Amino acid sequence: MSLIKLKNVSKIYRLGSQKIPALTDLSLVFDVGEFVVLAGPSGSGKTTALNLIGCLDRPTAGQVIIGDLDLQSASSRQLADFRLQHIGFIFQSYNLIPVLTAAENAEFTLMLQKVPKQIRRQRVSKLFAELGIDGLEGRRPADLSGGQQQRVAIARAMAAEPHVILADEPTANLDSHTAEELLELMRRLNREKGTTFIFSSHDDRVISQARRVIRLEDGHLAADITITA
Amino acid sequence: MLLTLAFRNLWRNRRRTLLTLSAMVVSAALLILALGVFSGMFKDMLASATEQYYGHLVIARPEYHLRRDLFAHLPADIADQLPLENEAEITGKSPRLRSFGLLSRPETSQPVELLGIIPRMEQQVTSLQHQLTAGHYPTEEEHNGALIGQGLARKMKVKPGDEMVFVTQAADGSIGNDLLIVSGIFATGDSRHDNNLVLAPLPWLQQVLVLPGRIHEVAMVVADPMTAAQIADRLTAALPENIEVLDWGDLLPEMREVIAAYDVSRMIVVTILYLATGLGILNTFFMSVMERTREFGILMAQGMRPWTIRGLVLLETLLLGGLALVIGLLCGAILTLYMQQIGIDLSGYITSVTYAGGTILPRLHAVFEAGNFLVPAGMLLLVSLFAGFLPANRAARLDPVVAVRDI
Repeated sequence: MSLIKLKNVSKIYRLGSQKIPALTDLSLVFDVGEFVVLAGPSGSGKTTALNLIGCLDRPTAGQVIIGDLDLQSASSRQLADFRLQHIGFIFQSYNLIPVLTAAENAEFTLMLQKVPKQIRRQRVSKLFAELGIDGLEGRRPADLSGGQQQRVAIARAMAAEPHVILADEPTANLDSHTAEELLELMRRLNREKGTTFIFSSHDDRVISQARRVIRLEDGHLAADITITA
Repeated sequence: MLLTLAFRNLWRNRRRTLLTLSAMVVSAALLILALGVFSGMFKDMLASATEQYYGHLVIARPEYHLRRDLFAHLPADIADQLPLENEAEITGKSPRLRSFGLLSRPETSQPVELLGIIPRMEQQVTSLQHQLTAGHYPTEEEHNGALIGQGLARKMKVKPGDEMVFVTQAADGSIGNDLLIVSGIFATGDSRHDNNLVLAPLPWLQQVLVLPGRIHEVAMVVADPMTAAQIADRLTAALPENIEVLDWGDLLPEMREVIAAYDVSRMIVVTILYLATGLGILNTFFMSVMERTREFGILMAQGMRPWTIRGLVLLETLLLGGLALVIGLLCGAILTLYMQQIGIDLSGYITSVTYAGGTILPRLHAVFEAGNFLVPAGMLLLVSLFAGFLPANRAARLDPVVAVRDI
């Protein structure tokens, strides 16, 4: 079942009078429960594609349809609400809120969704246990290692049980061992919960874990390979 | 959690927040103190004008206060005919007869204003009994005892027990004159009263002026001078047309103008001071928002609406404003209390100054007035909100794609 459709999508950024094409005529379909990597060198359009899929940006031309939502016709408020309900983000630099504890960071999306406190606590506790960071709930991000911070970031992305989790270079700041551990963890969540994961990465460790690799070059689709086990 | 986030955000840069908070607290506290001292000064001025002579309200014939017409008199029991018992605010009333004439001694004469009073009642309205420098306040048993100003006593070269003759025109066209004996001497610091005013028993003056059973006015005092105008309006409505009730603002229009000007100048001072404080708050929150651009991008990516982002920053400014308000009000109240109880005596450096019908005393003391707390408090919150609005708007209008990439 298709979850996300990109139809002839182009994205052009303007730098003064200069037009910089980031994506050109890109068409892709993502199904529910996929574990996909957008691969390619820097400047190939991976992050732009993730921003479009994540409803953070709108295409210059073409259509991005996520579920029932057409990005072109949606208001900023609709996009914000859609992100809140359906999309989780994992960033390269973790980007946890430094003044909130690990548990509060993970709960934040649920708080925005107005989920009652008790349910928030229960869900986050369960996630922390699954992610192997139980006991760290009360710590601030500054008191956590990079790997622990990224696990909290995954918990934050997973807490609201979104349909899609977008991860922009999630292992770039981690050592090999921690990166492998986290990738395995995300694979497990993908298998067990059926959440769609879309990564952008040029890290071979990430690419090797994917079941589908979409290779971008200069904003064009260079290859779309589905790996069968 | 939004409140928790806002509160914790305030303390990210503890030093910067404390500096801004200090500026807000100091400006609020000093402003409250300054307004309290100004209010104290004006209260002294008003008290000096009303408690030494006029009272807060006067019942008289129309325009009597302008012409001082000898024949514009009223029945002595006029006050008893009024529904004054309904006016709980009125705390004292004194019937008066007024005459202008010459006070003579063998070696000198002085033009004077002479008020015929009932001592017991006059002491409810004016406070000259507390400003005696010699002798005593005339009693009702003294048929012709007089209280005179210190300057006048000096010019007349009299002391308590000395005799003087008052000469004036009587209502029947004759020359009224009679002997007065100095009972006491007062000093108010206001040269107009000290050099010119004499108080004598009402029956004595009624006899001299050949106006038995008549008075020119009833002076009254009320608990709160600021309500005098409303009471005057109510009483006027209940009186016949040929009698009017004037409040101290009608009797001392320049004093009313000074107090109105004070209200305006208070707002100007508050605005100027808080404009500077507002710029400080604006700077703090702009810095804070700039530093957190990436974080706002993350919050937006998580689905936080722009209005919630705006609300978060405004909540931070309001929290800071609220905190400054509580501490500022507390410090302001302590300083005002100190200046109310102890004050600063300036009599070694300056003397009393008569201005706008009142006397500015050589002392700094403050009074508690709700407005002196409410105006700075309201303005502080308003300034915090305004100063926070620009940075809040900036945060809310961030493009999440750009914000997330901000380093």
